Amino acid sequence: MGKILIVDDTLFMRTLLKNILFSGGHTIAGEAGDGEEAVAKYKELKPDLVTMDVVMPKMNGIEALKAIKAVDPGARIVMCTAVGQEQMVKLAIKSGAKGYIVKPFQAPKVLEEVKNVLAT
Amino acid sequence: MKEVPAKIEHNNQWIVIKLGIGEDRIVLPAPINQEILFKAVADVAERKNILIITVKTDKETVYKILSVEKVLAVLKKLILGSCNAYRLMAYFMSPAIRGGVMIKDAAWEKGSVVVVQSGIWFVSATKQICVPVTDVAAIELTKRDVQGKPTEVVRIDHLESGEVVSSLVLCPLSTLQVLYNFLKDTTKGMDMKGTELDGVDQQVAMLIYSGMDSHAIENMLNIPHKQLDAIYDKVLKLGLAEVVTIRREVQLTTKGVRYISDATKSQTN
Repeated sequence: MGKILIVDDTLFMRTLLKNILFSGGHTIAGEAGDGEEAVAKYKELKPDLVTMDVVMPKMNGIEALKAIKAVDPGARIVMCTAVGQEQMVKLAIKSGAKGYIVKPFQAPKVLEEVKNVLAT
Repeated sequence: MKEVPAKIEHNNQWIVIKLGIGEDRIVLPAPINQEILFKAVADVAERKNILIITVKTDKETVYKILSVEKVLAVLKKLILGSCNAYRLMAYFMSPAIRGGVMIKDAAWEKGSVVVVQSGIWFVSATKQICVPVTDVAAIELTKRDVQGKPTEVVRIDHLESGEVVSSLVLCPLSTLQVLYNFLKDTTKGMDMKGTELDGVDQQVAMLIYSGMDSHAIENMLNIPHKQLDAIYDKVLKLGLAEVVTIRREVQLTTKGVRYISDATKSQTN
């Protein structure tokens, strides 16, 4: 079980992820609504894992991923984006993402992916 | 012609036969006494380890064959290679995404995509995967990074044991467009306008998809039970969901209140 930071610009998706992760026995370290806030919260909360939306205002998920990796190269980040943006996978993986979730997603699969990434 | 042991459904009973497999046909011995030319096969479907073959000659006949995986694999490969179907050489990746999670070791396989009446088959040297048309949730022309550059692919979302699985097909763009149109046409019975659900309805539908129960949905969206009930009615009526559990809300009768009061007394005494 891990301490997780949820990053998404929509409250709905954050609430959904929070419910899924909570049902899987994880602790929610915090939430962020954009990339800048994500980087600040990561430094402050030091979570075990981050679920990171890709398309967000101010700083997008890929930039935030790179910024967090610069601070903590061992950071476990699972990218989370909408259908049709799968071409971002390569860029995200290249930038250090440990996993990738495509919206809409199903709870058991999200928990499985989070478990796998936490085990790395 | 090779002969292999199999079972076939005949007069509502499974009988053991020695199934003859040739290059262009299968032979069903007595008591069936039929030769089935692969080119006469109009549909191929699979339910667990039963192969269902529909043959169209003057009339339509359905054969159900049960055998070991190895025999069925040979049969499927031969029939799908010659049956009456829309067929194209392509690269496919199936599954590529399961439940919204990218499958990391998924790879492109060289083979063919065969579209028959009841389903879409992905066939390669080692795989034969069937996606029934009734399980197809979405078909989309999209882009995927292939060897470093964004490339057009057809994405087929389908249900598999309650999970949404995405498969990808890659072939020349003109063929891809034909395949996309053909698949859209094959599955058009499931098309909707997209305006049937309003914002809250769509959020409810997404939460159902994600596996949330009614209690979680009410809490997350902060909506009363009656509103959620009305939305459930709407999605059920549209055929977008099905009932899995009916939970009744009840209140105690006078008899019930008396029982509980007595029980409490006996616990405290």
